[in-house]
Amino acid sequence: MRAFWEQAILGPLRDLGRQTLASLSSLIGMLALILLGLIVGWIAKEIIYRLLRALRFDRLCDRLGVGLVVERTGLARSSSYLAGQIVQGLIILTALLAGLNALGTPLTRNLVDRFFLYLPHLLAALLVLVVGALVSRFLGRSVLIAAVNAQVPSARLLAGLTRFFVMALTVVAALDELGISRTTIIVTFAILFGGVVTAAAIALGLGARDLAHDLLQSQFRPKARPEVEDPMRHL
Amino acid sequence: MDEEILKGQVKEKLSALGEVEIIVGIPSYNNAGTIGHVVRAAQTGLLKYFPARKALVVNSDGGSKDGTLEAVEQAKLDTQALLSVSHPLYPVHRLTTPYYGLPGKGSALRTLFRIAELTQARALAVVGADLRSIAPEWFELLLGPVLDREFDYVAPYYKRHKFDGTITNSIVYPLTRALYGRRVRQPIGGEFGISRRLASRLLTEEVWNTDVARYGIDIWMTTTALAENYKVCQSYLGAKIHDTKDPGSDLSGMLVQVVGSVFGLMETYDSVWCNVLGSLPAPLFGIPFEVGLEPVRINLGRMLASYQQAVRDLLPVYRSIISSPQLEDLEVAAALPDSEFALSDELWVAVIYDFALGYHRRVIDREHLVRSLTPLYLGWVASFACQAENETSAQVEERIEKLCLVFEQLKPYLINQWPLRSGEKRSAS
Repeated sequence: MRAFWEQAILGPLRDLGRQTLASLSSLIGMLALILLGLIVGWIAKEIIYRLLRALRFDRLCDRLGVGLVVERTGLARSSSYLAGQIVQGLIILTALLAGLNALGTPLTRNLVDRFFLYLPHLLAALLVLVVGALVSRFLGRSVLIAAVNAQVPSARLLAGLTRFFVMALTVVAALDELGISRTTIIVTFAILFGGVVTAAAIALGLGARDLAHDLLQSQFRPKARPEVEDPMRHL
Repeated sequence: MDEEILKGQVKEKLSALGEVEIIVGIPSYNNAGTIGHVVRAAQTGLLKYFPARKALVVNSDGGSKDGTLEAVEQAKLDTQALLSVSHPLYPVHRLTTPYYGLPGKGSALRTLFRIAELTQARALAVVGADLRSIAPEWFELLLGPVLDREFDYVAPYYKRHKFDGTITNSIVYPLTRALYGRRVRQPIGGEFGISRRLASRLLTEEVWNTDVARYGIDIWMTTTALAENYKVCQSYLGAKIHDTKDPGSDLSGMLVQVVGSVFGLMETYDSVWCNVLGSLPAPLFGIPFEVGLEPVRINLGRMLASYQQAVRDLLPVYRSIISSPQLEDLEVAAALPDSEFALSDELWVAVIYDFALGYHRRVIDREHLVRSLTPLYLGWVASFACQAENETSAQVEERIEKLCLVFEQLKPYLINQWPLRSGEKRSAS
């Protein structure tokens, strides 16, 4: 009877206790790691924010146009603060992954492994987005200034279109890097781009037929050159 | 250094020639139609005004293909006193169009300065090969102050139409004068006289293969002479009539080259100009006589339209450059009817100082910044032209003088806003 009691009742209860204790310690470990991540993340954020503010990082971002994006999108109160928040997020994420890894289950281990395999793609996509945003801003401003100097009436529209197309290309490249529905994105982009070009061609054909006629005629059958628009000597 | 600049054959010719006292340099590039006249004027001027001094006329050509070299050969009066050399024309000189001045002028001047050094010349005069109004007297006026009065740099002083040279009148002259405290009326005139001392100093600079030498050579020389306290004067040459290479159609490119150079040099010499307030006249040689001037037509409507569009469309760009009160004033002016349009001197000066500060702080890409100045400049020219429409040349000159004084009065604003390098002290007096 005593052997039966030991084997059938106390044994499984002891095993359950051991397993519960092991799980509980893993769980406490995970929570401790997450808590540590939260604290370290908050401290790191404050240090980064104050350090970058002292180094006038916000002014640099304003020059590069990043400050305006941060301000307009309401991501953070300043670029320095955003940088601090990014560092904080990365620390918390690392702590979370370490905590999941501490649980030691096959599912969590698999999740962590896959995340680290995906991380380079995530960083590459982020880099593509940042560079694309800067290039689109630079090209947009180049087009705007050139068009205003040439007194093109729709200068802002041209600049906006330039920024839009560069950003569209950037987003497609970033999503492609992340491997998100690659074919769908490319097809969508091709349809969108083709649609815009077709719409522009129809608009030109219907609404600006005379302008197109004059433009082509001036290109291929130029008249005698009219008087120079600006006869001044500026220097 | 000379191995790079002068070819062996040229050096042999120079050593055979020995020391000379005066050099007249004529940089050229496809100037067959005018260079003969310039060479003859130079040789006549040298014979007439400096007969006892050993002189040399040097044509530095950038690879002309229109018979310029043959025109020089046909024009020469004295074979001993004429030398033809070539200066390299870098691809950028051919590719970067339009260019306001002579392609490769920096290379030509470097060649001429080196020849002046090698021949121990006391004075060098440089004149354009495209001049139609050049006279033998110009050489006395450009070389005399260097030879007889020990000046280092002789800037030209031309009589110009009241609406001619508006970048010079509205930006380059007043700004250079306010910065360096000397009234050099034509700081980018093109022609000049120079001492060997200053030529040698300029040769030591590391700018000959940079954009400064390619695009802003005239303002660079004038600024260096002023900022480094060389003796600078002016000579009255009358009217300047030449085959213009000033393509008004690419005004913003011209501003990038000239105004960009002025702004760039402000960084080089900030420790100098931050300690200068007011200005002194630069001595003027020659008698300012009246001359007939070519009429200049201006298109007011186009200029105003450009200004109004820019204040509307470029507002986000201007916000990063121009201070808020000035920007508001620009917007108010843009909303005025054409007949009442006017920009005050104070507003224009504040705008130029804000652009100089923005250039220094790199608030946006520097080329974008200077290009975005173009429509505002056109607005200023339109305002100036409206106000000066019925004024005589003398009255317009008074108006420019008034503008210069405002540049000088508002300079403390520029000094206070300019971030100095660490360790430097600001003591404007």
